[in-house]
This record gives sequence, structure tokens and C-alpha cells, in this order.
Amino acid sequence: MVDHPSDSHTIARYESTGGYAQGRRALGLTRDELVEEIKTSGLLGRGGAAFPAGLKWSLLAPARPAYLVVNADESEPGTFKDRQLLERDPHQMIEGIIITSIANEVHTAFVYIRGEYPKSARRVQAALDEAYAKGYLGSGIFGSDYDLEAIVHLGGGAYICGEETALINSLEGKRGEPRLKPPYFPAAKGLYMMPTIVNNVETLSNLPHILAMGAGEFAGLTGSADTGTFMMSLSGHVSRPGNYELAHGITWRELIYDIGGGIPDAKKLKAWIPGGASAPWFVPEEHLDLEITKDATAAAGSMLGSGAVIVMDEDTCMVRAAERVIRFFAHESCGQCTPCREGTTWLEMILRRIEEGQGRAVDLDLLVDVSDGISIGLAWPPKMTTICPLGPSAVSPIIALRDYFRDEVDSHVSNGGCPFAVKSGGAIPQTPRSLDGQNSSVEGRSSDPIASDLNRAAGEQE
Amino acid sequence: MSRWSEGTQERARQIIARYPEKRSAVMPLLYLAMSEEGYLTGDGMEEVGRWCEITPAQVLSVASFYTMYKRERTGQYLVSCCTSITCMLLGGDDVLHAVEDESGVPHGETDDDGLLSVEHVECIGACGGAPAVQVNYELIEGVSPEKARQLIRWLESARPEVVNSDEMQALFGARRSFDWAISEVNGATGPYPAFQPLGTVGSEVAD
Amino acid sequence: MTTELTLVTVTINGVETRVPEGELLIKAAQDEGTYIPRFCWHERMSPVGMCRMCLVEIETPRGPMMVTACTSSVADGMVVDTESEDVKKAQEAILEFLLANHPLDCPVCDKGGECPLQDQALAYGPGESRFVEIKRSFEKPIPISELVLLDRERCILCAQCTRFSDEISGDPLIEFQHRGNMTEVNTFPDLPFSSYFSGNTVQICPVGALTATPYRFRARPWDLQKVESSSLQDTAHPRIEIHASQNEVLRYIGVDNDATNHGWLSDKARFGFEYLRSDQRLTSPLVRKGGELVEVSWTEAIDTAANRLDLIKGEDGGAALAVIGGAQGTNEDAYSISKFARVALGSNNVDARLDDALASHFLSASVARATIADIDDADTVVLWAPDLKEEHPTLYLRVRRAAQELGATLVVIHPRATGLDDRASHKLTYRPGGGYELLDELANGDHPEVSQAFAAEKVVALVGIASHADGPQLAESVAALVRQKAGHAKLMPLNSRANTYGALDMGLAPDLLPGRVGLDTIGCANLAASWGDIPAVIGRDTRQILQGLDSGEVRGLVLVGADPINDLPEPSIAVDALDAAEYVIAIDLFLNDSNRNADVILPASGFSEKEGTVTNVEGRVQKVNQIRPAPGQARTDWAILDDIATRMGFSLGLASAEGITKEIAMVSPAYEDLTWDSLEWDHRDGIVVPIHGAQAINHIPVALQGSKAPTAQLTLHVARVMYDNGVRLQHSPSLHKLGPGAVAHLNPGDAPSIGARDGHTVKVVTTRGEGEFTCVLDEGTPTGVVYVPFNQQGASSLGSDPVVRVTTS
Ligand SMILES: Cc1cc2nc3c(=O)[nH]c(=O)nc-3n(C[C@H](O)[C@H](O)[C@H](O)COP(=O)(O)O)c2cc1C
Ligand code: SF4
Ligand code: FES
Repeated sequence: MVDHPSDSHTIARYESTGGYAQGRRALGLTRDELVEEIKTSGLLGRGGAAFPAGLKWSLLAPARPAYLVVNADESEPGTFKDRQLLERDPHQMIEGIIITSIANEVHTAFVYIRGEYPKSARRVQAALDEAYAKGYLGSGIFGSDYDLEAIVHLGGGAYICGEETALINSLEGKRGEPRLKPPYFPAAKGLYMMPTIVNNVETLSNLPHILAMGAGEFAGLTGSADTGTFMMSLSGHVSRPGNYELAHGITWRELIYDIGGGIPDAKKLKAWIPGGASAPWFVPEEHLDLEITKDATAAAGSMLGSGAVIVMDEDTCMVRAAERVIRFFAHESCGQCTPCREGTTWLEMILRRIEEGQGRAVDLDLLVDVSDGISIGLAWPPKMTTICPLGPSAVSPIIALRDYFRDEVDSHVSNGGCPFAVKSGGAIPQTPRSLDGQNSSVEGRSSDPIASDLNRAAGEQE
Repeated sequence: MSRWSEGTQERARQIIARYPEKRSAVMPLLYLAMSEEGYLTGDGMEEVGRWCEITPAQVLSVASFYTMYKRERTGQYLVSCCTSITCMLLGGDDVLHAVEDESGVPHGETDDDGLLSVEHVECIGACGGAPAVQVNYELIEGVSPEKARQLIRWLESARPEVVNSDEMQALFGARRSFDWAISEVNGATGPYPAFQPLGTVGSEVAD
Repeated sequence: MTTELTLVTVTINGVETRVPEGELLIKAAQDEGTYIPRFCWHERMSPVGMCRMCLVEIETPRGPMMVTACTSSVADGMVVDTESEDVKKAQEAILEFLLANHPLDCPVCDKGGECPLQDQALAYGPGESRFVEIKRSFEKPIPISELVLLDRERCILCAQCTRFSDEISGDPLIEFQHRGNMTEVNTFPDLPFSSYFSGNTVQICPVGALTATPYRFRARPWDLQKVESSSLQDTAHPRIEIHASQNEVLRYIGVDNDATNHGWLSDKARFGFEYLRSDQRLTSPLVRKGGELVEVSWTEAIDTAANRLDLIKGEDGGAALAVIGGAQGTNEDAYSISKFARVALGSNNVDARLDDALASHFLSASVARATIADIDDADTVVLWAPDLKEEHPTLYLRVRRAAQELGATLVVIHPRATGLDDRASHKLTYRPGGGYELLDELANGDHPEVSQAFAAEKVVALVGIASHADGPQLAESVAALVRQKAGHAKLMPLNSRANTYGALDMGLAPDLLPGRVGLDTIGCANLAASWGDIPAVIGRDTRQILQGLDSGEVRGLVLVGADPINDLPEPSIAVDALDAAEYVIAIDLFLNDSNRNADVILPASGFSEKEGTVTNVEGRVQKVNQIRPAPGQARTDWAILDDIATRMGFSLGLASAEGITKEIAMVSPAYEDLTWDSLEWDHRDGIVVPIHGAQAINHIPVALQGSKAPTAQLTLHVARVMYDNGVRLQHSPSLHKLGPGAVAHLNPGDAPSIGARDGHTVKVVTTRGEGEFTCVLDEGTPTGVVYVPFNQQGASSLGSDPVVRVTTS
């Protein structure tokens, strides 16, 4: 990791390294020039969907006012790169906001930061305050007649608000439910039904550099079709977890063993999640020497997503790992779509049952079939039966169980429980709602052993 | 006819003024309501509804969608243990159980004195320093079960007015996701995120 | 707006068809004969695409793609497969998911037998569930209002109820709570789903999650007899289906038609049937003997009544006799009253309005009348009228939709907050009684934004009595002003009481004859040709009749389904009159305050117990139908009146309801071609009768009387609300308790000077009366105004005198 100075978050430090020069320069460029420059750079969105940033801008509908919304809701398990950018380099993102706003004739930008990142929010707010004080934000930025307001908005604890239309609903003071696409493409009908650009923190943070070095140089940083550098969050069973800024094109082996320092205690690698919890899993036998590029990953049936790599060693119980990933999606499902709402929870319950020793021989097929109802054909990219990709993302671990870890599921069933030595006993279900004002023993479904026994008895009586 | 203090009302007005539409202020105002009473009461939600001109049912609909709006009395310290995938792989479940055991508070509950609430949460973006714990959303990374017990004992005995991430990290944490090396004096005073302007630009700067 | 429909070609399951461009696939396919299963889609609400049941496959350049048919618009060249392998797989999966947590309590569920989930499980489902985990459980059922119960575990989260209350009725009190698998619909704790339209959510809930207290557990759908009709508890006459079992009416269901209600009903119209089965119904004729009411035979009762009417007529002529009522029944009843009064009594003293109505010449004026459909098309809707949400619920929904969905500019002018303020582009609030002052201002162009709204191409103005303090004349002046400002504006004069328009069409006014014909016109002469002599002088209206009773000039009164003591804005007039009246004959369903001391009381059949036609606020004639016999010996108004007339020596020739409709069509040009046949077969939504055929009075006086703004510190505003103490509601237990009761609303700003506090008792004094009320502090009531809902249980009448004094008791 590069050694950062302790004042990297201040405007003084940022400007001392050339900061805000590109924001100022952008004022002199036309919309077409800016859009063209970003298109040429080949910059792909870093929020997970890898949508070309320049193309997104060019699709913005002409109605005004238009808005920019910065997606700083980073919540996908394994991902913590945006937090670093927010806490350490907020001005870089703010300059990205300025460039994007100028390019798209935006005068109001919102930075939607997840509620669990208060420190990031404070840092960004402090940085915004500095930028306002210098006249880089507010009315007449950089002495021009261009006005730009930037407003921090704190999330309330919901991963789904990272999905751009759910985020927009949330910003409007509504439940964070994704909108129907069509018709609600943000570029056409976004915030307050006006044209809206939603970009990830990292995407925006790239912009000053693209303008500074020129689109061509940026594109040439890597040999692959994926241009520029990108952040990877490495975590799990690796010796040196952390965020790494990389050029595309190295292999997974290089990432995990050379950069990440390999698996602690010289254990063997069992599997890894290549692109955040949504992505289908990789195993060493098939994927270790693949290049880390968008296309190579897609060809192997997965994605780079949010750039989070979660490494699992040989002693990891795959049923438990699958349960934990699926529990996340079940907990974070907004609940609109029948398959996602019902299916993800069903999967979670089956997996927990297997882990707790009540698995049946038919359960793996059932898991696969239930998943099939959420993501028809169970492949990536998914054939979704849902409004947004959250539901289909949840089945990624089931693909892994089906393709690589059948025997592990079987041994849970024949063993009457988990064959791995696990210190902490049973799996932990979703938080019961008691803190949220609902008593879980009266209402809802709790897998708290006592409550669930009671429920089961009640169920049998029915 | 607000039941909020004049200061809070002024904040509410400032927050609402930041947004093109009143309803957008719902989430920041919910935090404001929580900071008034320590958690989100029915009165608090009705008040937010009045400010944003929506019905209490609509406010509740929003508030109950998100995990951070606590609608039941919550302790002075909300201890959130991450048990999502990476933290689980590195012992997050053990940390949770240590916290529950040491505090005597099962996850999802609050102790009788209103001091501690314990919950387990999904990923809080600290996977590089897993397992991670937050106290009032102030982060500690690289927490072992033993350190977690110490943390609870410390909260119970020291009862800090303000919990500060850097301070707790130094006392109870180990490996971090990244070394930020920038110390921060801010910290949280209640079981809601410490972000004073609560969703708006600092008014003194923007106006 | 008649936009030309462009057709596009789509291929559905291999068959090419032409469908309107932009239409939702689910609808286009359905119209073309392909049913795509669905739970959350509702044609009258915006699609949410949540249940995912309507997934189909469309071809795209990147291969087949699953889309929801309820959210996808058809486009030219679209190729759709609604039954591919993947589609079937998805449908099966979704049904299994829905059933996973759905309780199998169908045998005790009200919806059993008419449940789309049951039906579709059979048609598209996987047979049996593989779900062996614990089902979601909730405390059940919970009453979320006085009328609606919620069983959360039956809910399939289709958002029909939440969308209805948010989008359609505008009171979002029931909402999704929590998220993911824990999502449920519910209200805010201790804040009930007290919407005037809550029953619609019960009707559209596709499962048994929302059930209605008045119906729960009362019947199984397959036992029900059904008949279509139109509700008389709403001036728009929303179309309903009456469901009965064993001669008992069990529920009304809204019928979806474009003409009036789109399937929606107010709770008053939906649940206001309980009175029909009340054991307080009058079931045999009563005659007062020695001060006591005694049951007698029909013959004796008719004899007694006829003899006395004959006697009075003989002594003082028809001018000494009068009839009040007729606005609550069918046109046939009204026609018989009209004919009875003119022919048998020889009197024009007849009025269906109860001194709270617009003038008959205004109500029947033929100038540029608006239909309900005109509201949809309007660029501007002006509303200077009662709060539609309280008094004209169907129109409320239509105007709300026009302003919210169809882009109309809405101008609301009213003395206090109304249910449509949140959709109004411009709201003017004026002091009750200060209407003329505001009118002057408008005439002078003082409110440019309103003037601008008037300048639009299509203007519809709904005018009526916004406050009793303004009196009925103001509305005429408003209409005149609107026509001055916007010559092409269309007008809809509003009046309470369901069949007032039908009654006026049948001549139930002292100056009108059937067909809205004036007394001195050629139409009158034509009518005389079939009726015989018609008294030439204009008769007395309700107020004058009552005054005549008091003074003795009017000696005999026939009350037909009317309760002036409770309905008149100044009830003291009615109390005095009925005290003084020499002889009163009442035809009614119940004893009420006005007929309790009558000399002869005749039991009448009510709604759903008789057939006939009715005419709504826009002049739409619809058929109402019978599903059960009247209780005991009760008979229709027309049969009773025909008998009395016969005994008095006049043959009215009223032999059957259908026969009367034929006679109406014969004598009244506006109703010329109307037959039961056409209403039952070709025009189930009814026919708007033309006004041009009638010799209508179309002069509207411009009465800008100059300002006489009230000067008192506090002004009284009395207005009707949906639930009052009317006799039918008194006998409908589910609704009766819903009225606000004796309350007086004050602005919080006025409270300190009076010393009033929310929930405390205040005394309100006017020059006409005084009474004690529970104080409600309410931002919707402007400062300087005391608002008292009209005719409430336990409330004393204050008249409509604007000057009041309010004290704490
Ligand atoms: C379930 C779900 C969660 C998402 N979460 C995030 C997130 O936390 N942060 C983010 O930047 N994008 C997230 N996205 C992607 C956004 O929808 C959107 O594509 C992105 O913000 C666009 O920015 P970009 O083009 O700069 O990547 C998520 C998408 C989905 C479907
Ligand atoms: S897939 Fe899940 S999270 Fe996404 S919209 Fe549907 S229910 Fe909500
Ligand atoms: S009917 Fe289309 S998703 Fe429900």
C-alpha cells in the first residue's frame, strides 16, 4: 500500500499536488469535448455494473434541472474501497463531481453516503466546506458564473440503496425500493423524475486524472480492454488484506499469492469470490490463472462487480459460507419481488437447516430449483425474474455448491451436521426485529432455537 | 405545535431548505428525531411527518425499511458486531458471542439499565480489518473475542460521553482495512451516527 | 381528448395482432384473448411489477428476455411468448413462493371461492409445496379501522391497497412496513385506516388479507345471489353489484365503469346497506287512534289518509295540502309523488329539496352542463362547492384523478381545508358568509392566477353550497361569474341527497313539472293533456310549506322519505311546523324525528327492494334493481300513492314501475327513448338525458350583491360530512359510529383567546341556537372561523347564522 501523508484529506494537500486544476479547466471545455474525452478514456463505472461512464453522460435527457448523485452507499460484503477514497481523498471525488456537473449542466449534486460510514460523511462534509470556502463550490465556482451545490445525504442502513434507482427513491424520502426499468432510467427520469447521473465514488475519483493525463494515456495504462486502474478490496483468508489499486490484466494467482501474500498458515485455497458477494465463486482448479479483466471473468461465468475479492481457505465450510452470503441478500432484499423476497429467505433457511444437521438428501436439488425460480437457468449474467439484480445475485453461492461442492453438502447430510470444526456453534440468523420495535417471539419467524421450536409446534398443529 | 426544542426546529428548517422537495428530508429528520429522544418514538415519527407533510404511516414505512432507525429504546451504546461473510470467516461470530456473553445482552436486545444494546449486522465495509465492531457506528477493526470483552467492560465502567473511533481502535483493535493515520476528535454521543449537519451542507458555508 | 389511436403489430404466441401503441402488454394481450396471470396489476392504478406473476418472454436482439407484461408497453414488431418453458417455470416458481408463507386457511377465509391466488394456484401452480420451514406468522386478525380487518400472513404484498389509498383516494394511511421477508402492510400504531374509501381495498385485495367487518364470515361466495344496481348514497350514483343471501343484503361491490365510479365506492355507499335489515324497519301501516299509533290494515290506513286529504281539499283547496320528499327514491316514486300532488291533491306545494339546495331553476338550467367525463378532459376544474370528499365522494375521486393524473389545473375555493387542497393548483380560502366579497374580487381580477386558470380552453366548474352561511344564491352568482369569465365553461351544479336530480326531473319542485318543464310553458299544456288539470300557480317550497303549516295556511302534509327536522339547516322551522301541523301522513322506512307524531304512517320498500330508474348529478339515468322482497307489508311509494289517489277518486294509472318509466318517457321529452330494456342491455352505465329537449329555464342571474362580509370576531361554518345522523345511517351500526359527533373545530391560533383546548368542551352560541361541543384544534380551519359538522349525534343545531360567541363552559 502506498504510504499516504496524514493530511491527504485536506484541500491544501490536494491542491499542492495539482488538485482542482482540472475542475477549473473543465469550465472552459464544452459538454461535447468532455463527454468525448471520457468516452475515449474507456472508463467503466466502478459501482459494479461496469457501465461506460462517457456513454452514461451522453444518454442524459435534455430536460433540466438535471442532478448528479454520487453513489457512496458501498455496502456489498467484501467491499471497502470507497470508504478509503472518502476518508483519505475526498477532494479527488469532489473534483470529479465538479467535472461531471459541468459536463452535464448539473447545478445540484447529492453525495449519498451509507449511514454506517459517519466518519466518511464527516470527512466529505469537511472537504466540501473547504471547497465552498475557496469558491470551488457554491455560487459562481472558480470565479465563473456557474453555480454548483453539493449536499451530503446519509443513508439509513440498507444495501439495496446502492442500486441506483433505489438510491434515488431513498433520496426522495421513500423506501429504498428499486424502480422499474423501463421506464425509470435515471438518465431520463431520475431524482424528482428529472434526468440524473448516478456515479460511483471511484468512478468520479478517476475523472481528474483522466483530464490531467489525457484519455489516451489513461486508456493505455493497461494492455486490456479495461482501461485505467481500479481498486480491489482483498479480504478473507489472505495474509495481506486491504485495498489495492491495480492495472487490469494480472492473474488471480498473482493477486492472491503475490500481492495478498497467500493463505495464512500455509493452508490451501478452496475458493474465492471474485467481485463482491454478488459474483459467482471461483475455485483454484479452474480459475487461478485467469486474467483479471471484465471479459475473462465474464467468460468464466462471473464478474468483477465492485472489485471485492473474498478468499476462503481449505477449512472453510462452504455450506456455512453460502448461508452467510445468502443471509446477507435475504436481509437486504427490499421485498418488492416475490422471488427475491420469498426465495432468498427460503434458501437461507434450507442452508441453515443443513448446517444445523437437519439436511435431507433432496435439499441440494431443492436449493438449485428454488434458485432457478429467482434466476432462470442459474447462470451469469442471470435471466432475472426480478426487478433488480439483487435477488439473482443471491443465488451465486448455490451455483458454487452445485458445481464444486456437492460432496460437502452431502457430507453435512450424512454427518447430521457440519463436518468442519466450528468454534461458534450454530449459524446466526438475520437480526430479529426486536431492536426495530417488533418482538420477534410474538411476530415474525425466528430461528432462535426456543422460539423456532414453538413455531414449529404451532405449524404442525395447523 | 412542535414538541422539538427551538434549536432542533431550526435545524429541521435548515435541513428541509437543502432539498428541492420536503419529503427528501425524511431520513435526516429521522436521525434528528432519534437524537432528541435517544431512539425513534411514535411522537418522533409524527413530528417528522408534520415537517415533511406526509402521514405518520408513510414515515413509519420509510423508517422501518432501514436498519439504523431504532424504534425501540436503545442503549447509550449500540454495539454492532459484523457477522457478514468476511468477518464470519475470520471469527466474527466468536466476537459476537463474546460481546453477548460479557454484556449479558443477547443480540437484538438492550440491557435493563439502557446502557448497552447489542446487534449483529451485515457488512460494515471493514473487511480488510475483519472482524469488525462498531459502537454507535464508530468503527473498531481487528477485534478479537478477548478484546471485545474488554471493550464491553470499558464501556460499562468508563461510560465515555463520546465514543471515538481512533481511541477505541487503539485500545481494542488490531489490523485495519487501511491505515488512515489521520486522527479525528469527533465521536458519537448516542446510538445514531455522529454526523452533525445530518445530511446537509454546513449552513454557515453554503449560505 | 380524442387522440387518434395508432395501431402497432405484435406477435403473441405466434399470432400477429394489431394493438394500440403504447398499451401495456398485459392489457393488449387480454383484449386480444390471451390472459396473462397477475396479482399486482390493476387497470386503474399505476403498475408496480412486484408480484412478477405476469412474466413473459419477448425477443430482443440479445435473445429472449423475461419482462413483466404489466410494466411493458407494446411496440411495433414486438414478439411475445406467454407460455414458453421459461415462462412456465417462472409462473410455477412464483406461485410456490407465494404459497410458501401463505396460510392454508381457505375454508374459513372470506375470500375462499373468489380468490385469484386459489384460482391461479390451480391453473399455473406446482401442485404441492416443498416448503418445510416455519411459515411467517403474525398476530391475526387486527382491526385496522372500524370497518377493515387485516390478516397479515395472508397478504401477498401486491400493493393494491397501498396504491389505492395513496394514488386514488389520497389518504396514505396503510403502507408497507419493514422490508424483505418481513415486509407487511399496516397502519401507523393507533392511527387507524380511517379513510372514507377503505372498503375499496377490501374489494381489490386479491386474497383474504383485508376483510370487511360488516361482511366477515357472513357468506360463502357460491351462496350469493347477485344483481347490478346504482347506489343512492352518492350523487354520482356509482354502479354497484348487490350481493344477498336468503333475502338479506350482505354486501355491495363496486362495478367498474368508465361513466361514474371506475369500480370505487365510498364506505358510505359500500357499507350503507345495514339499515335495510334493521329490525326497526316499519312493516305495517299505523294510524293514530286516541293519541297512540295502532297497527291497522292497508285498507283502513289508506281510507283514513284519503278521507282526511279529501276533507281538507274540499274545505280549503289543494293549496292547503303539501308534499315534502322524494329525493331518496327512484324516479318512478318521484314521478308518482309529482302526479299525486298535482292531480289528486291539486297542489303545486311539492318539494324534494329541504331548504338546503340550489334553486330548482338553477339545478335544471340547461346552459352548458358538464358531465362527469368532462372532468377528465378539463384543462381547468373550478371547485366552489361543498368539500367533495365529504359530500360527493365519487366526484372527489374523479377530480383528484384529473388534477393528479390528467394534468388539470384545479382551483379550490372554500371556507376551510378540503380533501382536494393537496392537489389544488390554487386554493382560495374565504370567510363563511364572505363569498360575495370574494366574488367581487374575482370579478375585478384580483386573483390573477385564478383568472388565468379561467382562460384555459376547457373549463369545468362544480358549484354548490360551500357553507350554509353563504346560502344557496351564492352558487348561482358563482356560476354566472364563471360564465362571464369563461363563456365556454361547463357547469355542474351540486346538490346533496342522492336522487335530487331525478326528483327535479320528475317535477318535485313547486315550479317544475316532469321533464323540467315550467308551469307556464307549452310543456305544461302538453302534460295537462295526459294528466288533466294542473294547478297554475307556483307552489310553496319546503320552507314555505313549513311556514304554512305553522300559520295554518297549509293543513295537511305528506312526508315521503323525508326528515326535515334533521335535514334542514334551520331545524327550528321544521320543529315548529310539525308541532303545529294539523294532519301529517308519512311514507317511510323508519320512524324519525319528523314523522314520529304523524297521524298515518305507511311502511315503504327501500333500496334493493324495488326496481326503477334514477338520475345522477350529471343527468345520467341508470336502472336500479330488486334483489329481495320488502319486509312485512311494506310497499313502494308509487303503489301507496296510487291507492290513496284512487280512494280520493283519481285514477293515476300507476300499475307497475316499468309502466311508470314508460309513462315518463311519454310525457317527458328528455326521457323520450328510455326503456328498461335499453338500460339493462345496451346501456348498463346509463344514458345521460339531454337537457335541450326540455323547456328549461336557462337564465342565471348575475347577483354580485356587493360585499357584506361578516364582521363578527368568529364566524360559523356549518357543512355536511360523510357520516351524519341521517336516519339510514342511524340504522347502519357499522357506519353510525363513524361520524365525528358534536365537535367544533377552531384554529389553534384562536384557542388561547377563548381558553379552548383540544378535547375540552366549548359552548358555541349563535342568535339561532347554542350548544356544547368538543373542541378540535385544527390548522385546516382558518382563524376567525368555528367549523361545526352538520347534523351530528348529540349536537345541537346552531342554524346558519354566522355570528357566534364561543366560550369555555
Ligand atoms: C443490488 C445492487 C447494489 C448496488 N450497490 C452499489 C453500491 O453500493 N455502490 C455503487 O457505487 N453502486 C452500486 N450498485 C450499482 C449501481 O446501481 C449503479 O450501477 C452505479 O452506482 C453506477 O455508477 P457507476 O456507473 O459509476 O458504476 C449496486 C447495484 C445493485 C443492483
Ligand atoms: S430483486 Fe429483491 S431487492 Fe431487487 S427489487 Fe426485487 S425484491 Fe427488491
Ligand atoms: S401483475 Fe405484473 S408483476 Fe404483478
